[in-house]
Amino acid sequence: MRLLTTLLLLALLVLGVWTFMDAHNHGWWLPPVVSTFGPDIDRLFYLILWMVAFFFVLTEGILVWCVFAYAKKRDSKATFTHGHHKLEIMWTAIPAALLLIITFTQMGTWAQVKFKTSDSFPKGEPMAEVYASQFDWRIVYPGDDRKFGTMDDIESPFEFVAPVNEPVLFHLRSRDVIHSFFVPYMRLKQDAMPGMTIPVWFNATQEGSYDLICAELCGWGHYKMAGRVRVVSRAAFEEWLGEAKKEMLSNGTEDKP
Amino acid sequence: MDPTRHFDRANRADLAHLAVCLAVAASGAGCGFEPGHAPMRFALNESTVQALADAPEVADHVRGSLEFLFGTPQHPGYTVLADWAENEYDPNHPDLPADGGGSGELSASRLEEIRADNLRAFAPDLAAIAAGRFAEVRKPRTAPGLERSYRSLVARRAAGEISDDVLKTEARKLFEGWYPSLRDSAEMYRQQCLHCHGVDGGGDGPTAAFLDPRPRDYRKGIFKFTALKDLAHPRREDLYRVLDQGLNGTAMPSFRRFSIAEREGLVDYVRLLAVRGEVEHKLVATYEDEEHLSAEVPAATLLEVWEKWQQAREKVVAFEGEIPIPTPAMLARGRELFNDAKKGNCASCHGERGLGNGVAAYKIDENTGRQVPAYQDDWGHDIMPRNLVQGQFRGGRRPIDVYRRIYSGVNGAKMPGVGESKDAEGNLVLPPEDMWALVHYVRSLSERDERVAGAPVHTGGSH
Repeated sequence: MRLLTTLLLLALLVLGVWTFMDAHNHGWWLPPVVSTFGPDIDRLFYLILWMVAFFFVLTEGILVWCVFAYAKKRDSKATFTHGHHKLEIMWTAIPAALLLIITFTQMGTWAQVKFKTSDSFPKGEPMAEVYASQFDWRIVYPGDDRKFGTMDDIESPFEFVAPVNEPVLFHLRSRDVIHSFFVPYMRLKQDAMPGMTIPVWFNATQEGSYDLICAELCGWGHYKMAGRVRVVSRAAFEEWLGEAKKEMLSNGTEDKP
Repeated sequence: MDPTRHFDRANRADLAHLAVCLAVAASGAGCGFEPGHAPMRFALNESTVQALADAPEVADHVRGSLEFLFGTPQHPGYTVLADWAENEYDPNHPDLPADGGGSGELSASRLEEIRADNLRAFAPDLAAIAAGRFAEVRKPRTAPGLERSYRSLVARRAAGEISDDVLKTEARKLFEGWYPSLRDSAEMYRQQCLHCHGVDGGGDGPTAAFLDPRPRDYRKGIFKFTALKDLAHPRREDLYRVLDQGLNGTAMPSFRRFSIAEREGLVDYVRLLAVRGEVEHKLVATYEDEEHLSAEVPAATLLEVWEKWQQAREKVVAFEGEIPIPTPAMLARGRELFNDAKKGNCASCHGERGLGNGVAAYKIDENTGRQVPAYQDDWGHDIMPRNLVQGQFRGGRRPIDVYRRIYSGVNGAKMPGVGESKDAEGNLVLPPEDMWALVHYVRSLSERDERVAGAPVHTGGSH
């Protein structure tokens, strides 16, 4: 019985670690990063991951050892112990210190991404307004008057087209309930709160189409509330916007048979 | 519990039992177990059931004819009628030419767009195939027909009948040229649309009860937002537009995450549901008129309804020439026309401010004395005029879209079309410049300006 339990726990430990080490080969790991602040976020992720991995192996290992070495037969007497004061202080203080390390390490990245006063936060007018609704993403670009909320605005359902290698600022709004704008490839996530206009930015480093998914339960359609962020060259972006503006002024003759 | 007890016999039996249960559950839950679907049938419309309540054999006749003509939800398809077969016309295949086993509805340029889009949508699979990793092709859940064809190619290669290179070229042609069958589209409808729109397209799926506005009931063949006049049936492009862009201000989202082929396939299936619903209505109407239903009536009705759908394409509303720019003078003129009862007469329903609360929108309920909506739409639901200040134009917010709403009205709703209205002398009530003045004014109502009292400031709505 003791051996069985020991081996089971050991298997848990080994499998736990091996799953993480092998995940990449099955595509079960983080997708490639395509934003400028993405690598910082990934660095924090790995920092925490290694810390947690260390303590996982440590605590599981001690558990396995205890089960193996100290499981006694039915009729033996248990040892009475008061505990170990110094040890208990250590295993409170060290994790507390580690938590503080994490707190201070992440502050810079958080400020860089979220604070309007940070150096990386684009100043100036937003490129688009993104409206989250149940269960759709709609992106509005200003027309030639460069103002939002006027008649010549361009609306793009589902697809947010943005130029590559440029800081892109947009205003995130919700039409009804709380949603969340999540682009995994960019490590970008921001809740959309009804009643609030939230400035969000990213700087995409690679052209491509990236999934945009809702990351805050918003109703029965939350699971399929998706969109797309399509990052293209500046020239292609201008061309797309020009086409969209022309499309706005269509007189309908292209629909005639 | 006695702490000195370990795993004696009784507990061991429990453990074993638990282990067996878990093993069975695990084998059922993910090791290749594919739960099939209980066979689904289309049901008769409630109004049909009521109308034929005292003629059950006629109800059976209608049900049977509809199943003969349109199939079931899992095996849908139009029966190819004699008239069609003669000309090698087949409405089940819009991607084939009209005299070559199809209906020719998709133009050559559209088919080109579909092919290019297929290459984009299937890019990971095509990359895997080109690299020789034939087993890595994802199971395309919304294209069971495509999956079957691909698997049979792979099987032929495994049996040595075709070479790797032939498999690669044939597979690429397969994916590139894929167009969903009605059966493929029905499967996609079941996964994506049925929960709102219902098995029969009656807008009565399980989630429909939570929605306002309710999902469309296709069965009358009435669709609100078309580019057409005269209450014509929608073109497939109109239905496609709804799938492509969604309906702003409703729970109908944009389905751009699916490929063009998938969306066109859904258009085919939605139309089948609509045509089926219309044929059903007409059969009931024929029975009520003539007191019996002869055997040739169902097929003739299908032909008639199908023709109406095809002819609708002729009735596109368009404007020859460039759209006039909204100048301040035009907007002032538009405002005049909006409020003039003899011209646009918009304020009577939409209200002077465009808030959708005009006097004509309400009536006084006889029993309670309260204000209630004055009108119902063609589906029997209370309907209020659109709040134009919110700026959520469901049919599209381009000037031409708003022009079309004013010109032809909104099918199924109470918005009248005034584009061709003439006065006593035979002149247009709203000639083109006036129409555009009205269009621009209506669009300007939803512009964001914090100085205008009551204008929405950072609230819901696109403005």
